Amino acid sequence: MSASLAVNLGGIAMKNPLNTASGTFGYGWQFEGFYDVSCLGAITTKGCAAEPWEGNDQPRMADVYGGMINSVGLQNPGVRGLVEQCGDYLSGLRAHGCAVICQVAGHSVDEYVAAVELFEELAPFASGLEINISCPNIACGGIAMGSTPEGAAEVIRAVRPRTKKPLLVKMAPARVPEIAKALEAEGADALTLINSIPGMAIDVHTRRSKLSKPTGGLSGPLCHPIAVRMVWEAAHAVSIPLCGVGGVRSGEDVAEFILAGATAVSIGSQNLFEPDCAPRILAELETWVEEQGTRDINDLRGALEC
Amino acid sequence: MAAPAPSKGRLFCAKVMANEPVASEINRIVLEAPELAASLRAGQFVNVAVEGEARQLTRIPLSFTDTDERAGTIELIYALIGPGTRQLSRVGEGSVLSVLGPLGNGWSIPEAAKRALLVSGGTGTVPIFAAALALAKSSTIADVVVGARTKDLLWGLAALKEKVGGEVIVATDDGSAGERGFASEPALTLLSKHPYDLVLVCGPEPLMKVVSARSVELGIDCEVSLERTMACGFGACSTCAVRTVHGMKGACMDGPVFDAKEVVFP
Repeated sequence: MSASLAVNLGGIAMKNPLNTASGTFGYGWQFEGFYDVSCLGAITTKGCAAEPWEGNDQPRMADVYGGMINSVGLQNPGVRGLVEQCGDYLSGLRAHGCAVICQVAGHSVDEYVAAVELFEELAPFASGLEINISCPNIACGGIAMGSTPEGAAEVIRAVRPRTKKPLLVKMAPARVPEIAKALEAEGADALTLINSIPGMAIDVHTRRSKLSKPTGGLSGPLCHPIAVRMVWEAAHAVSIPLCGVGGVRSGEDVAEFILAGATAVSIGSQNLFEPDCAPRILAELETWVEEQGTRDINDLRGALEC
Repeated sequence: MAAPAPSKGRLFCAKVMANEPVASEINRIVLEAPELAASLRAGQFVNVAVEGEARQLTRIPLSFTDTDERAGTIELIYALIGPGTRQLSRVGEGSVLSVLGPLGNGWSIPEAAKRALLVSGGTGTVPIFAAALALAKSSTIADVVVGARTKDLLWGLAALKEKVGGEVIVATDDGSAGERGFASEPALTLLSKHPYDLVLVCGPEPLMKVVSARSVELGIDCEVSLERTMACGFGACSTCAVRTVHGMKGACMDGPVFDAKEVVFP
């Protein structure tokens, strides 16, 4: 008998720990030409605000050593647009046993509240909401609010009473233990970490940023060891479940996050480089769990021996 | 499950049949991928993965010039401009590359067009070459203006002259071949000389802006093919943004070819 991979991410039942990092997976349907997306434990949709955002100017991405840097600026069609364009698809995905986590964006506490209320009203397909307080590419909101325990707590305190759905928070790669504790105290059900790491890439010939803005968010394999360390720190700071994100390319990369204390793990940029990677990574994860001689992946969470 | 239609792009293992220079720092690679060769339309593109170069983890978006359905091959022309394309230039014959395609919408090649003007600059010549070959199979007369910085960057002119029904005019910035100056100058001259009913442009944005503005003034249907940095090619990452009169669109799914009237040039 094969091992059970089922996990529970803060009230979100997942048939396996694989999730997708918001912003690298569109709204899910983009990948249906490559494999049956419902094989995943969950997907996390691109961050969406109450009203549509047009995002930043181009260029929005550049290649860097070991990954990429982006400055998309959370272009999104607004919650109503998302529901209109993808609601049927996402409802179907959930009916096929794949949890649907909708990421929520905002420039201010009020905007986060407005978006959560719209999701609550219009998106019965959402298994949970992930509040993005760590986007490095927007002028206000995002990382500006999520990089201190006080700022992060303020957002979650405001949105928590507005939804009964499981509430996840996408964390910045900074001050992880103290911010994680603050979020747990405000009633977050789970934490997703890490968001992309603020970075820069400069074209030295033109002396211009390779992006339309001076800074952007780093993602890809270069982030993986940093993300594993931060998940491990969060696991020691809080008791709510964690979703590890950062540079996953293989089942072993997923396993590292689980050993560090993650309940679920998201595939990010690899979805863009290798659009059919998820079924391969899932098979590799299953092999690892079996090789560890356990019948339940939950036995391996936080099982780092050191 | 009702949803927007996903990209028609699929992953193919493509065998490298040739990979060689055609001009200074410009290579031609021929890939064997019969299903892809049969499905590509002029102006579409493919995303090619290169291995062994940590500075290039995203796939490289490349345009094709020609397909050979009988041989099951596609020909891509690419400039060696960064670590990824330099790594691609080192891939030997017989190697296998992961190729994602067909991507994007391609040129609309109307049957009814009597005379078309095609204008390119730099690597924009690649999809213009494909458009010229597609038009050569129709009754449309095509004039082509090819722009490059200098003579050493020109390729494919003999084939182009052989295939197209109209004029082929070359412009180089330094005057080392053809007319001295940008491709926009002979293009604007041709626009006032012949009654065109179709204009296709691909190259630097200032070139596309000036040629498309004049075409639109004259009431001629004009399409431009836009280049963007992109991470996926199938609508998942929102990096290849194009500002249009209808808001932000994506070069990978909504383009790379756009109606010139729709694009807001900087």
